[in-house]
Amino acid sequence: MTTLETPMNSTTTRPSMEATAADRKRAKRRHSIRRGSIYVLACIIALWILLPIWLIGTMAFSTPEDVRDYPKQFAPIPASTETMDFFLNTDGIQRAARNSIVVAIITLILSTLLAIPAGYAIARYLFPGRDAIRLGILSVRAFPIVVLAVPLAITFIKWDMYDKVYSLALMHTALTLPTTILVVASVFAGVPYELEEAARIFGCTPAKAFWKVVLPLAMPGIAAAAILTFVLSWNEVFAAILLTLTNRTLPAQILYTLDKSGDPFKFAGGFFMLIPSLIFIFFIRRYLFNMYGQLNK
Amino acid sequence: MKKFSWTPYLLLLPSLLYLLVFFAYPMFESLRLAFQKDSAILSVRDEPSENAAQVGQVKLQTVVNVLDRQELEETLPNGRTRPIFWFQVEGEDIDGNTVTGWVNQKSIFIENRRTSETARVVAGEPTKEWTFDFVERMFNDYRFKRSLITTLILIVLILPLQFVLAIIMGLIIQSRIRGSNIFLYIYAIPLGISDLASGILWYSIFTQRGFLNSFLDTVGLIDKPYIFIQASNREWMIVAIVLAEVWRATSIVMVIVVSGLQAISRDYMEAGEVFGATLWQRIRYIILPLLKPSLQVALILRTILAFQVFAVVVAITGGDVLTVLANETYRWYDPARYNNANVAAVYALFIMVLSLGISLFYLRAVRSQEEASKNL
Repeated sequence: MTTLETPMNSTTTRPSMEATAADRKRAKRRHSIRRGSIYVLACIIALWILLPIWLIGTMAFSTPEDVRDYPKQFAPIPASTETMDFFLNTDGIQRAARNSIVVAIITLILSTLLAIPAGYAIARYLFPGRDAIRLGILSVRAFPIVVLAVPLAITFIKWDMYDKVYSLALMHTALTLPTTILVVASVFAGVPYELEEAARIFGCTPAKAFWKVVLPLAMPGIAAAAILTFVLSWNEVFAAILLTLTNRTLPAQILYTLDKSGDPFKFAGGFFMLIPSLIFIFFIRRYLFNMYGQLNK
Repeated sequence: MKKFSWTPYLLLLPSLLYLLVFFAYPMFESLRLAFQKDSAILSVRDEPSENAAQVGQVKLQTVVNVLDRQELEETLPNGRTRPIFWFQVEGEDIDGNTVTGWVNQKSIFIENRRTSETARVVAGEPTKEWTFDFVERMFNDYRFKRSLITTLILIVLILPLQFVLAIIMGLIIQSRIRGSNIFLYIYAIPLGISDLASGILWYSIFTQRGFLNSFLDTVGLIDKPYIFIQASNREWMIVAIVLAEVWRATSIVMVIVVSGLQAISRDYMEAGEVFGATLWQRIRYIILPLLKPSLQVALILRTILAFQVFAVVVAITGGDVLTVLANETYRWYDPARYNNANVAAVYALFIMVLSLGISLFYLRAVRSQEEASKNL
């Protein structure tokens, strides 16, 4: 698929015995035009992705006066942290950010601890019911969050667990666990079985072979899965706004106060929520297809 | 084949138990919330006393005939006594049979304790009753139809755009131009971006003093800001939401498409080239058919997520003029607004039924297509 918009049949790739120098030259030119147009398209799409992020960044690092100004400027000149400061010092925001981090970390730990054995079982064992369990986990992952949030909120009220940071983390663990299991399984599947076998031949117990050989090799992938879990929890807003009232997480707090707040607050908040996702993509880039590609297997 | 081992089951057990507690139990709870309401039922006794044996149960609001009455005394917890009337009543019990027995004045409404011939049951022991009240309330809610229609419009507009864009992105990345890895990472950035952040971001573009107006003003196309987001401008609100969702959620489709493309053998592509297929022909007759399984998975996943669209809509429109199903779920649940978890649960179940229905429909369509192609 190296071509783009070639109205004529692409004779260029067909080896031709009697190709003259002129022919070859023309073919080469056509080839570079094609390359060029792919680049242009690729760059336009990249711009479409990056421009909104640039714009919200511009807002976050302009003065509040510039944020309210019209027409807006398209770069933060002069740059200022005033708007961000204002956002971060708004009542409840630091607390909400702390809650978000705590929820995401509990979720990350719980989810990873549960997913490591489960992922290993799926990656390494052939057992009756394996496909059913895999399919079950996959379908649970596509389950609408909305359906879980309302009854869980009511149950948590009954059990005196409502509006607690840890109960939201329990809910987020349920939401992220299927994804984490599948990603961890694909990471374990990528560790050569021969290494584990070798360790056993040299006298390791299965547990020791896992601990000394498999786990260290899988660690970067598991770390990527953990980061994914963190981001999923950090971003989740529907369950968060239903399960908390005074202990809001950051997205829940921002969403709740959205209609009462001015543009500087909104834009700085939007940018602030974006930060982990920008770092996230840097860390997980090698595992992108472990995370989402295996969905269709 | 290794001999049977319990190890994998033990390893999976904690996760499966966890998911059971947090998926199966809430599902059960939400059915209960949606279809059960608090009610009361009155026990009818064979003697005029609380401790007498129960002869039947009567629903609230049942009108009963008073056959006999007795004025007795009741001892209060503080040791004093007060008069209390017991009535022998006859009426329809919960199974539709006629029952005769004694009830006291606290459970029924009677106009005159000494002379009235009929009474109405107004109290009893708390119980749960199956009901369609909450379902009816959802269907009669004036926002229900609007939220459903908006949700469907969004799905119909967003999904095709997303898939076309994702396939273009995938083809660019698979073309292995120099730096295609960088493009892959740029295109994947929105994977980690929340719907709320994306909504705020696009709000900053479409708001009255936003970037779109600023841009149009700077290039001289308008001289005063055009108000895209206002009650009379639903079309522009939809446009903003569609752009925000396409911007944010195309990445996941793209990743699925790319991993699908990677699985296509290069032989097919080369064969296409050798036989002189144009790019469009190659996409139409080679790439898309081979990509179909990946696209189906992405389609089911995206449709289910699209039924739950929420924060983007609230961030861009405020969620009042334009509303979606998930937003109504929240509105009904919200203690500060309707504070009715029962109707909220009905909304949630409705979203689930729609998602399930669509998924099954896709899967069926796929299967019948496969069968049709087998019979060819």
